[in-house]
Amino acid sequence: MLSKIKNLFISFFSSLKLTIVLLLIIAIVSILGTVIPQGVDVSGKIESDLLNTFKFLQLFDVYHSLWFILLMVLLSLNLIVCSLKKAPAAWKLYSIIPSPDRKKPFENIPLDRILRLQKDKDQVIGIVKNILLKKYKRFRKKDLDEITFLYGEKGAFSHFGIYIIHMSILIIITGAIVGSLMGFEGIMNIPEGESSNIARLVRHNKVKKFDFTIRCDAFSIEYYSNGMPKEYRSSLSFIKDDKVAYQGPLLVNHPITFQDIRFYQASYGKMPGGKAHLNVKKGDENPNQLTAMQNDSFYFKEEDAAITIKRVEKNFMNIGPAVLIAVQTSDADFTFWVIKNLSRLKSQIPGLFEKFPKFDPGSFKPYNFTLNKIEDTYYTGIQLSYDPGVSIVATGSFIIIIGIFVTFFSSHKKIWVRVEGEGEQVKLSVAGTSSKDPVALQREINNILKNIKNELGEA
Amino acid sequence: MMINTVILSWVTFVYFLSSIFYILKLVTGKQLPGIIATYISLFGIIVQTIALILRWIESYKLGIGHAPLSNLYESLIFFAWVIVLLYLIIEWRIKSRKLGAFIIPFAFIAMAFASFSPNVKSRIQPLIPALQSNWLISHVISSFLGYAAFTIAFGLALMYFLKGDERKRKNGFFSRILPSKDILDELAYQSIVMGFIFLTLGIITGSVWAYSAWGSYWSWDPKETWSLITWLIYATILHSRFVRGWRGKRMAILSMIGFASVLFTYFGVNYLPGLHSYF
Ligand code: HEM
Repeated sequence: MLSKIKNLFISFFSSLKLTIVLLLIIAIVSILGTVIPQGVDVSGKIESDLLNTFKFLQLFDVYHSLWFILLMVLLSLNLIVCSLKKAPAAWKLYSIIPSPDRKKPFENIPLDRILRLQKDKDQVIGIVKNILLKKYKRFRKKDLDEITFLYGEKGAFSHFGIYIIHMSILIIITGAIVGSLMGFEGIMNIPEGESSNIARLVRHNKVKKFDFTIRCDAFSIEYYSNGMPKEYRSSLSFIKDDKVAYQGPLLVNHPITFQDIRFYQASYGKMPGGKAHLNVKKGDENPNQLTAMQNDSFYFKEEDAAITIKRVEKNFMNIGPAVLIAVQTSDADFTFWVIKNLSRLKSQIPGLFEKFPKFDPGSFKPYNFTLNKIEDTYYTGIQLSYDPGVSIVATGSFIIIIGIFVTFFSSHKKIWVRVEGEGEQVKLSVAGTSSKDPVALQREINNILKNIKNELGEA
Repeated sequence: MMINTVILSWVTFVYFLSSIFYILKLVTGKQLPGIIATYISLFGIIVQTIALILRWIESYKLGIGHAPLSNLYESLIFFAWVIVLLYLIIEWRIKSRKLGAFIIPFAFIAMAFASFSPNVKSRIQPLIPALQSNWLISHVISSFLGYAAFTIAFGLALMYFLKGDERKRKNGFFSRILPSKDILDELAYQSIVMGFIFLTLGIITGSVWAYSAWGSYWSWDPKETWSLITWLIYATILHSRFVRGWRGKRMAILSMIGFASVLFTYFGVNYLPGLHSYF
């Protein structure tokens, strides 16, 4: 009973039909995944039976769904069982060296593979032996009455090519599963000059908090003359335990690895508002520079006042850059605008401050504010990923290339040479077999014949 | 228009001419048109190579130097170039000019599409940062070698179908002029193997690029997914031949399905929702 189940299991999982069916199912599922939008959050949106069915079948996240993993597991079982079943045969093909005096290979060989030589037989045998020994790792010789048989073979390893390929596919699947179970991917948007230690995870709507902080010291973009971005880079500091543990530029295509997590320059954007450069003048004193972003606050000690930059507008009411400042003291609470093009506005609207007291940059006495410029500020969009499966997948990819070369570009070639006396002459016949490449075998044999003739001075 | 695009649009006509002569050769069975066709193709590929080098140099003069492999126009031109190159190698190896009539026209179509479709921009464009990568160059080269090999397999499959039944007494026109089915089948198989190897390399180099540019070696974007689908289809084809010994007509049908998938991977994915489609 048990052996019956075992046999059933083996015959089911070693069948190529299963392989083809699985490969096609995976192809079809993958097609579905490119047609149905993936990774969208459909909860709470339109409820319909179809949508719910799709959700139940995990069709909005096909590639991470349970049954996709199940398909991978079935495919792996298929590969393992089939390989184990066929391995002994391959091992036999690899390890068994046929006897040198076989007759069959010599049946029906073309006439040009037979040489008749006016030479000493032992000399011929010696030369053939040398040639075969030089080119073939495995060599056998056998003397039978008046006939000498020589045998050489190479490329036996090619029988393992497909096992190498199949094994590498198992390795790649393993690496992919390790990565998807133990790894994560996230996004961080950090404004220039600021820090963060929290990443939003791409899947599952979760966040991750790190035991280190990333500070974006600067962000810059270089443009081509047509306005397309040429390069963007963030200068990052990775801060751990209040110390800068790593500092360096992050560029597209040049990720940074920190604590096994890889950080990529993925995107960038402008912060709403921007960075305002203000001059603050107190009475007749020299003006002070003030640089601020929206929602920044300052404390003016002498007046015991809190100043907040409420808004930074690049084009306020079509009159250009302007900043809205809120002032809070113990007995007052007011706001006023600082406009860059104030003198122009004043000449357009006589008596501006009487009509619009809020446009008076000297509202907060004894200070006078002027706005120099508003600069764009950027945030850098950093993608990060941790994937312990990468090295496994890379190993598998490397091995698959080796396997492909062994499978398709090598073949098991066996060469038999028979040397016998024929009256005054020596008759030499060359025969061979190849596991798959008859053209290469032909070339091989022609080469051997040429070499023999050369050595004997008969070319 | 820049000089290289002018030359390349002329190369389109060269390949058209060469297609005509290959067809003449096939139909008449005479040697001369075939020899002319070979020389025209050789001329075409040499001129095309020069134009590509000019384009490369020109991009450096514009201050945005990069290999001419970075947008749809350039990929189509390179595609045609690889088809002609592979074909000439095959012609030289099998010493027959009968296949040209079913392969060189694909190079002509790709060139014509690149040069004359209003949707394909021939300007040299600067590279956005993500595309500035040597892995990307090896990725594009191996992928297009793969695509070209599959295209050749498709041309051979077409010939296989036109050939009809060899054993019939009264052979049709195509049956008389085309190479034997065994040869077509064997060549198609070898092309598929070449294509499969290059596609495998293309997927691997592509994921190395993705790993250095996008944060993950595989993110199931439509282009990636479709290249995997194509890979799976050709893997199925190869297995049905290795293990089941499928040959001939079945292989021809399968290689047409595979080619449809190649076309979709190349052009179709741009119509699907996705993140990064450059080609
Ligand atoms: C996609 C993953 C793959 C799977 C699941 C797979 C699965 C299998 C299975 C189960 C068999 C054994 C069938 C049998 O002998 O009855 C087989 C055979 C074979 N596979 Fe694959 N394979 C895969 C990829 C490849 C690749 C990439 C190649 C090479 C290009 C390849 C080449 C072969 C060959 C040559 C055989 C025939 C072995 C023989 O005749 O003993 N396979 N494959």
